[in-house]
Amino acid sequence: MTTPPQRERRRPDADVADPERLYVITGGPDGTERASLDLVTMIVARVAASPMVPPEQATILRLCRAPLSVAELSAYLSLPFSVVTALLTELLATELVESRAPIVRAALPDRSLLEAVMHGLQRL
Amino acid sequence: MVRVEAPPKEQAPPAVRALVLPVVLLAGATAAAVVLVPEAARIPLALYGAVAIGLFAWCASELSRRRAAVAALREQHAHRIAALEHRLAQHDEETVRLGKELMPAAVHRLRQGESPMEVMRAVVDGDDRYRELPPAQRSLLRSVLQIIDDEEAVREASQRAFVNIARRVQSIVHQQASELREMEEAHGRNPEVFDDLLRIDHGTALIGRLADSIAVLGKARPGRQWPKPVPLFSVLRGAMSRILEYQRVDLHSIAKVAIIGTAVEPLIHACAELLDNATRYSPPQTRVHVTAVEVQTGIAIEIEDGGVSLSEEARSRAERMLAQAQAGIDLNDLGETPRLGMAVVGRLCQMYDLQVSLRQSAYGGVRAVLIVPRSIVTTGPAPGIAHGIGATAGPKGSPNDLPTTDILRPANRPPRPVTGPQRTAPVVTPAMEDDIPVVTEWTENGLPQRRSRGRAPLGSHNLGLVDNGHAGGGRTAAPGGAPVPRQEPGPTRSQGPGRRADQGYGRESGREPGHGAGHGAPAEKKPGPGIWLEAFTKAVNGTPQEPSAGTAQPPDLPGDRGESDDVWGKGDLK
Repeated sequence: MTTPPQRERRRPDADVADPERLYVITGGPDGTERASLDLVTMIVARVAASPMVPPEQATILRLCRAPLSVAELSAYLSLPFSVVTALLTELLATELVESRAPIVRAALPDRSLLEAVMHGLQRL
Repeated sequence: MVRVEAPPKEQAPPAVRALVLPVVLLAGATAAAVVLVPEAARIPLALYGAVAIGLFAWCASELSRRRAAVAALREQHAHRIAALEHRLAQHDEETVRLGKELMPAAVHRLRQGESPMEVMRAVVDGDDRYRELPPAQRSLLRSVLQIIDDEEAVREASQRAFVNIARRVQSIVHQQASELREMEEAHGRNPEVFDDLLRIDHGTALIGRLADSIAVLGKARPGRQWPKPVPLFSVLRGAMSRILEYQRVDLHSIAKVAIIGTAVEPLIHACAELLDNATRYSPPQTRVHVTAVEVQTGIAIEIEDGGVSLSEEARSRAERMLAQAQAGIDLNDLGETPRLGMAVVGRLCQMYDLQVSLRQSAYGGVRAVLIVPRSIVTTGPAPGIAHGIGATAGPKGSPNDLPTTDILRPANRPPRPVTGPQRTAPVVTPAMEDDIPVVTEWTENGLPQRRSRGRAPLGSHNLGLVDNGHAGGGRTAAPGGAPVPRQEPGPTRSQGPGRRADQGYGRESGREPGHGAGHGAPAEKKPGPGIWLEAFTKAVNGTPQEPSAGTAQPPDLPGDRGESDDVWGKGDLK
């Protein structure tokens, strides 16, 4: 599978594109640090959407009444991951949503420990 | 003799009477002299006297005759002069008429698009007063019209050239914009690249606006066409995306209406120019506020900046520019440092019945009000609502439906389409059917839609989502060659992931050819994010799960997700 066919496949989507570009939605590549969000970071809304927030953020707040991962948000909004993180960074800064970091590696038992346990159990 | 000649010259009218006296006197004097002189001299004296008298009489009569002739000539001359003067005046009048009536009328008709011959026929021959136009004037008029026509043609040609170039730039920009959009989707998970792409995207949009401006000033329509109504909010954000300092623009309380497709592009462009003016002529730390409210005549879009107020002079200049542009602007009038903005707005207003006015803002800056007529506003549902996630989108079911229960309910999947309604449609559009495997269900940013992890549900899911009745065979036939019936999940799935790896996550994997095939078997189980998460939590909680679900993950998540790969690597062990 070469690259051009992929482009081809996405072309129809460009025809229905909106007049607005992504940088308007994110507020621009202003160089500010994004919140450290992962694809699996869970997001939950703290408040209901108010009319004052822009539509994308409002939708995030609506979607996140129950916790939802960033990846899922990105899929539902059909916006690229980076756009979603930018939006979420804003929402986090204004404390409209809360993020729960996924269980990071350190929180898991060390692999060697698990192996040791496994071997130990097998030897029983 | 000279002595006697003098008086009649002074004596004017009754020439004969004036002559009588000197003649009589002369005759008397001659008679006296004849009497007085001695005998011998009498005869010659009388002779001389008679000669003198005759001579004098002849002279005098000749003189008076000539006087009469002179008088007649003089009178004739005066007549002639009068006639000539009259003629001259007539001529002047004709010239004035030619200059003040005929020529403007002819030029006006020429501007309406008639050819010089037609104009001559209509203006000169069609009018009683001008039918008798002297040939010289006629030819003058004709040559003037010809010259104007030629000039006009030249100007038209140069304008067309302008527009033509602008169109080419527009198409390149459009092309680039859609490619950039694809790249943005592709590199959505790499923030550095993504930000750079956004920057390029922004620059491209600015170039596009310039090209649009040139096209509009060249009396062409703006470039893009929007087939469907677009909500006003999107229109305004579209306008924002075409100016340099869009971050300073705030949209407040935008009326929830949509703009019909044909008017979208001009409105975006006009708003972009006004926003550009507003941001350009106000201090960089101030914000520009945009509101759009419904008024009697349509929608009033107000753009208010916090800059210095326009002086009365500047305001009148701006309004004059607008008026000029509405009357039809000449590219030559723009001057050396063209301020295109107002000219473009004026032109667009004239073409699309918009009204614009510049007023002093309560904040001290300028408030530009753009009235959008009701005829181009629609309140019907606008399909292209802001990224498909406007008021109509979002989960409609109870919150419980959302993340997990949905996953666990494989066969009947009504909740899913509800949550992402607009975006699922493109996935199954016929244009894309040919090379997308049935199994997959993708959003265009390369993320897999959530779908059930299981075995049987897969088929049913396909039936539910894709079964629009047609093209099933064609689609399943896609990569592997042999047509595969949809209902057989096994083979279909094994085809799916190879493609998916290229298409979605697999930018990196796509580069090495063997990759997709090599991991074909494990990759086949790649689930959507929801599944993934669920599996993940299960793994963390120690819930037993079938190994394949675990092994499936790593190949599909290359590169930038190293950490998670490791996590999955641990899951593997189970």
